[in-house]
Amino acid sequence: MSAHKMHVDSYERNWMIFSAVLLVVFATAVSVAAFGMGIQVPAPEQRVDPRTVATDPNSPWSNPGLREIAPGKYDAYILARAVPLWEYLPKELTVPAGSSVTFYVTSPDVQHGFKIQDTNANFMVLPGQVSKLTVKFDKAGTYNFICTEFCGAGHGIMYGAITVTP
Amino acid sequence: MNQYQVSAAEKKFIGSHILVAILALAVGSLFGPLQAFEHAGWDFYTYLKPWIKSYYQGLTVHGVLNALVWTTFFIMGFLTFNVIFGLKRPLKNPTLNKVGFWMMVVGVLAAAIPILANQATVLFTFYPPLKANWAFYVGLTLVVVGSWVEGWGLFMTYADWRKENKSERTPFVAFGSLVTILLWQICTLGVAVEILTMLLPWSLGLIEGVDPQLARTYFWFTGHPLVYFWLLPAYISWYAMLPKQAGNGKMFSDSLARLAFWIFLVLSTPLGFHHQYVDPGVPPAWKFIHSLLTFGVFFPSMMTAFTVIASLEHAGRKQGGKGIFGWIGKLKWSDPSVTSQLLAGILFFFGGIGGLANASYNVNLVLHNTAFIPGHFHLTVATAVTLSFIGISYWLVPYLTGRKLWQPAWARIQAWVWFVGMIIFSNSMHVLGLLGAPRRVPLGLAPYVPAEWNSRLFQVGLGGAILFVSGIMYLAVMYKTATNKERVESEVIVPIAEAMQDPAKSPVWLDRWAPWIYGTLALIVIVYGPQLVEQIANIALTSPGFRVW
Amino acid sequence: MANKDKEDEEFRPTGTLAILAIFVVTLIAIWATIYMILVGRGGTL
Repeated sequence: MSAHKMHVDSYERNWMIFSAVLLVVFATAVSVAAFGMGIQVPAPEQRVDPRTVATDPNSPWSNPGLREIAPGKYDAYILARAVPLWEYLPKELTVPAGSSVTFYVTSPDVQHGFKIQDTNANFMVLPGQVSKLTVKFDKAGTYNFICTEFCGAGHGIMYGAITVTP
Repeated sequence: MNQYQVSAAEKKFIGSHILVAILALAVGSLFGPLQAFEHAGWDFYTYLKPWIKSYYQGLTVHGVLNALVWTTFFIMGFLTFNVIFGLKRPLKNPTLNKVGFWMMVVGVLAAAIPILANQATVLFTFYPPLKANWAFYVGLTLVVVGSWVEGWGLFMTYADWRKENKSERTPFVAFGSLVTILLWQICTLGVAVEILTMLLPWSLGLIEGVDPQLARTYFWFTGHPLVYFWLLPAYISWYAMLPKQAGNGKMFSDSLARLAFWIFLVLSTPLGFHHQYVDPGVPPAWKFIHSLLTFGVFFPSMMTAFTVIASLEHAGRKQGGKGIFGWIGKLKWSDPSVTSQLLAGILFFFGGIGGLANASYNVNLVLHNTAFIPGHFHLTVATAVTLSFIGISYWLVPYLTGRKLWQPAWARIQAWVWFVGMIIFSNSMHVLGLLGAPRRVPLGLAPYVPAEWNSRLFQVGLGGAILFVSGIMYLAVMYKTATNKERVESEVIVPIAEAMQDPAKSPVWLDRWAPWIYGTLALIVIVYGPQLVEQIANIALTSPGFRVW
Repeated sequence: MANKDKEDEEFRPTGTLAILAIFVVTLIAIWATIYMILVGRGGTL
């Protein structure tokens, strides 16, 4: 048996080189958005006990809602739940335009999703974990946030809204 | 032309796989249009209440039967055929393969009972803490383990062939099939561990709770390579059979095709975090590394695109095609098997584009769990894969049964109807996703749907209706073929395209298994190991089960 | 057995390159459109 060299047609070799370059370009564009513009995916924030997260008085999710931590900067603690009904607590938030809101979302029961329309906030909500992302609301209007993961019979009615006032 | 004779018993055995597959497709596809109709606001589930309790029970039936049962049974049947026919030898231990097959059948039945009883309305991703009846998890386990056992039977057959043919190149159809099975055996470890260490003991009441984040990590260890388990059998047909069928074309590059399969083996498992970009419990650094590897696995698909199209161009030019595109019309569009697979390949271009967008790390923030996702995978698994399998069945079923394909014209039209229906369905789903519509919601009834979605939602329903017609046509052709009194005059010739370069002259390293297997396992350990260790070390079995459907 | 006959020797897959060129243009256009949606919506940190 002799060792054989791999035969690659010149057109095909050029196509493979081009494909590799193209993928490198896409990866670069993604990296610029992630590390240059701060468009990032969620990172591990905190572990919680889903059995007590909604009731323990020390848990921010026992009193979910908006907290202003600095002028124009808010923390929003949101509970996504399927029991007894499919809903977010709170269901409605209001902030002035120009606000930067950091969302902390968790679930006391099954998996949920959390997607704020027309923003980059779109993530999974898992019992036992806290999902965190920040959105800056520059334009006034109503932004629905909807559940994007199957969470039982009422998945399709689970939503809330953020009102951004001018 | 004398071709290798597969024994009647083996043909029957392969045929049993195809039969179960088509039965699953028949039932599962009934529900597909019902899901689509719900988007358009046409609610049929109200009338199904005595049998099917909800949209979500129907969606579970559709997903499990079409994405898991139809594919797995068709694939195991087709790959078994490829190994026997490719190596020109019978199965070493047919009993072992039969045991595997019957485990899979029992598994499907075990899972079907709780699904039909509305005790397992957890969709085909079965994310805990949604808690199904234990029989659902037992059933899934049996299907996976049964497919392993069948795979072992095929590896043993190959080992014997190798002993007798030390310096031969493995014939391509057998080679591709064995790589696919190896990939499957490695990647299904994730879901096996998920079920056996968490979901099954939990559903039996042996442990109180599960860790939903760890369960997702296990699931997606299997979940993405599953896509390649579906896709590679179609690639085998596109590479090595379709060029022959389309006009006696040759395989443009045998060695690059083999290289592509090895890259799929190495890269398709260690990138599962690209399904978990927006999970809270996985560090972004690992997500980013997996995104780069996902870009890497796009590369062999680009190679495949070139080799397959060049092989088809070779066929078309042999039939007299001139000019840059003149050869396309010269391909044998009159053969329904060719038409199905060409149309499947055309839509796969768009499946690839959507897939690359999903895979692009933060770009996933725009798309994650929107209607874009089912739009995407109806181009991949439900068209590139399913319509190709349909095309394969148009020659394979006559080959296995010795009965003539009933009404080839119907079969051909069926493929076109699928193509048109899927374009309408999938395009509108992609657009809805970009507008922000979530997946897994009967959008016709959702309270937050803005008026601008309505025309697209209607198109989803329209596409579903057209696909329903195509599905019925396919089932009719298969039923009438299987019961056709008209027999084929002589055994159907299995389409196998020659390679332009003699495979015996391709490099030896393309036929060595060990380095590729070690490389695969090493890469898995490197890019999955640290996170698996960390997540397992910090396991919190704190989620009790819920039945909220 | 596989033979490389004269006809195969002369075969240049020009049509293949043309199809792939169309594909790549479509790929870049669609991908870039979605990427621009992402960038337009701003940072998340």
